[in-house]
Amino acid sequence: MTAAAAVPALALHDVVKTYDLEGILVQALRGVSLSVANNEYVAIMGPSGSGKSTMMNLIGCLDVPTSGRYLIDGVDVSGLDDDALADIRNQKIGFVFQTFNLIPRADVFKNVELPLVYAGIAAAKRRHLAEEAIERVGLTDRMRHKPNELSGGQRQRVAIARALVNKPSILLADEPTGNLDTRTGDEILEVFDQLHRGGNTIIMVTHEDDVARRARRIIRLRDGLMESDLSAGEDRARSPHAPAGASPAFAPTGSGNAVAVAAGA
Amino acid sequence: MLRRGQDSIEAVRIAIGAIRANTARGVLTTLGIVIGVLGVITTMTAANGLANNFRESVSALGTDVVYVSRMPWIIRGNFFDFRNRPRVSLREVERLESRLPAAAAINPTTHTERSVKYASETIDNVDVIGTTDKQMLVSTSVPETGRFLTPFDVQANRRVCVIGSEIRNRLFAGVDPLNKQMKIGRATFRVIGVMEKQGSAGFFGGPNFDSQVFVPITTFAKNFGGSQRNIDIAVKAPPAVPVGDFEYEVVGEMRKLRKLAPGEKDDFSINKMDSLLEMFNNVMGVVLLIGIVITGISLFVGGVGVMNIMFVSVTERTREIGIRKALGARKRAILVQFLFESAAICLIGGLMGLLLAVGVTEIINRTLMPASISPGIVVVALLVSSLTGIAAGVVPAYRASRLDPIDALRYE
Repeated sequence: MTAAAAVPALALHDVVKTYDLEGILVQALRGVSLSVANNEYVAIMGPSGSGKSTMMNLIGCLDVPTSGRYLIDGVDVSGLDDDALADIRNQKIGFVFQTFNLIPRADVFKNVELPLVYAGIAAAKRRHLAEEAIERVGLTDRMRHKPNELSGGQRQRVAIARALVNKPSILLADEPTGNLDTRTGDEILEVFDQLHRGGNTIIMVTHEDDVARRARRIIRLRDGLMESDLSAGEDRARSPHAPAGASPAFAPTGSGNAVAVAAGA
Repeated sequence: MLRRGQDSIEAVRIAIGAIRANTARGVLTTLGIVIGVLGVITTMTAANGLANNFRESVSALGTDVVYVSRMPWIIRGNFFDFRNRPRVSLREVERLESRLPAAAAINPTTHTERSVKYASETIDNVDVIGTTDKQMLVSTSVPETGRFLTPFDVQANRRVCVIGSEIRNRLFAGVDPLNKQMKIGRATFRVIGVMEKQGSAGFFGGPNFDSQVFVPITTFAKNFGGSQRNIDIAVKAPPAVPVGDFEYEVVGEMRKLRKLAPGEKDDFSINKMDSLLEMFNNVMGVVLLIGIVITGISLFVGGVGVMNIMFVSVTERTREIGIRKALGARKRAILVQFLFESAAICLIGGLMGLLLAVGVTEIINRTLMPASISPGIVVVALLVSSLTGIAAGVVPAYRASRLDPIDALRYE
């Protein structure tokens, strides 16, 4: 359609991330390029040490690449300082973590409201937006409950509401079902499906194949490089159940040397 | 601008929440601040009370009155330079009076110490003052009941006396002293008046105006040996003459009386209330300084305690800081959050100290002297405690604001 529609939600160009661990340079990402369009639903997979956490931190603007470029909505964010990155996280990224990461002393409303506070939005508007987001995840009757008064599934819904409240460009989920039982996990994945249908761009990091298959596109990392980038259907055809079912925790020795250190952190 | 305002409101909310989550710890932490603020307020209130008390009691001397005496009230330098000065005599009083303008009031006084006695009550070492009716012109204190001495009392050598309020209380408990006969030394005097209460400058070595007894200076001379005694002359400047100018006039006339050559030093002293005030201010300065130093130390110790607890607070909430940063908190937002928390802890301590100080002031008020906490002192105390809090919070808050979000999120 228009030129604006062609701008990808995020784009990585030959991104390299090197960590300096007490003098030893460790390459966690060794040149990854990736483009995600608006309203895509992408799963990033890979065994421990594949660079998946590093990639998530970069996409989430919690970290900056050593070299290469990273663009969100066409804006280069690779060279920004801490405060500028904080603003990008606030405006463009919604985080959903494996461990929910809610603030324990604050109730549901205050947790969801928090990104709006940091966005500098006035109290009345904050209230309206936060209540709307809480309603969307079906927790209106739990608004004044503290996180420890909620089930795991409810907590993750709160986290999703919080991630959505600023209407971010990208919803970034890191093992969102990792701390949930299968049934609750399915409920949460159902929420993601709905959000995707509603037009959200979702990037989900996971190591579970059946979770990843909810996405439309699956990217596999290995040893800091992109191993494959396929649609969910193609991915299923190429890698049948055998390797995915087993634990991918231990990469074969040899080339895994560098990344093993990064994974250990 | 809006963003800054939001930050602050949110920071206050977070700070209150954080302190409420750990009430006992917060209270213990603030103990140093509580004591410090209690110290600030009590020191300042006591100093104020003393100053008021002193000013009130020396105001009886009058600001427009100079005293001509043999000795200065406060001796600076070599005592022996003053020792050989001639006494001020009654004759000199008369001659000085004739030389000064008619509008100036002049009153001689002399004093001694005697025991006073009424019925079975005796008070030893009472300041007995021989004076005249003109005392009423140079002093601001007046009789509460009865009357002061009259010219006739003085001329006729009458054995009448006017007593201070404290003498009345101690000697005439439950009895109306007017027209009662009391003993001063060996002589009997009739009480004709009681002076109103003055308050005491006694604890600075000044006179206690409430435990004096006034008798006619003529009667004094007859009964307590007058010719040898030293006389102080109070001279009040005529209206519209500045007291400084008048002081020079008095000095000039005294020098003429004493026939002093131009190069000679004065062989008398001019005393003023100002010189007492000056001495008082010097003493108060030292007292205040000591108070401030002690208070400062306790605030410092309190501040270190708060800093310590803030480090603990930051460490405990590393993960929370990570979450906040992931959600878009800038460094400044985190910094402000912890500064507010630290300031709030100290402000609470300040308020508790203030509350205690109100109690302490009330005790001082009832036992020692009139004292009250002024609004200025309250502002200073709360300001000092918040500033201590901010100072104590700077390093922990800075450390919190610099945390790496990835490390902080991973913190267990």
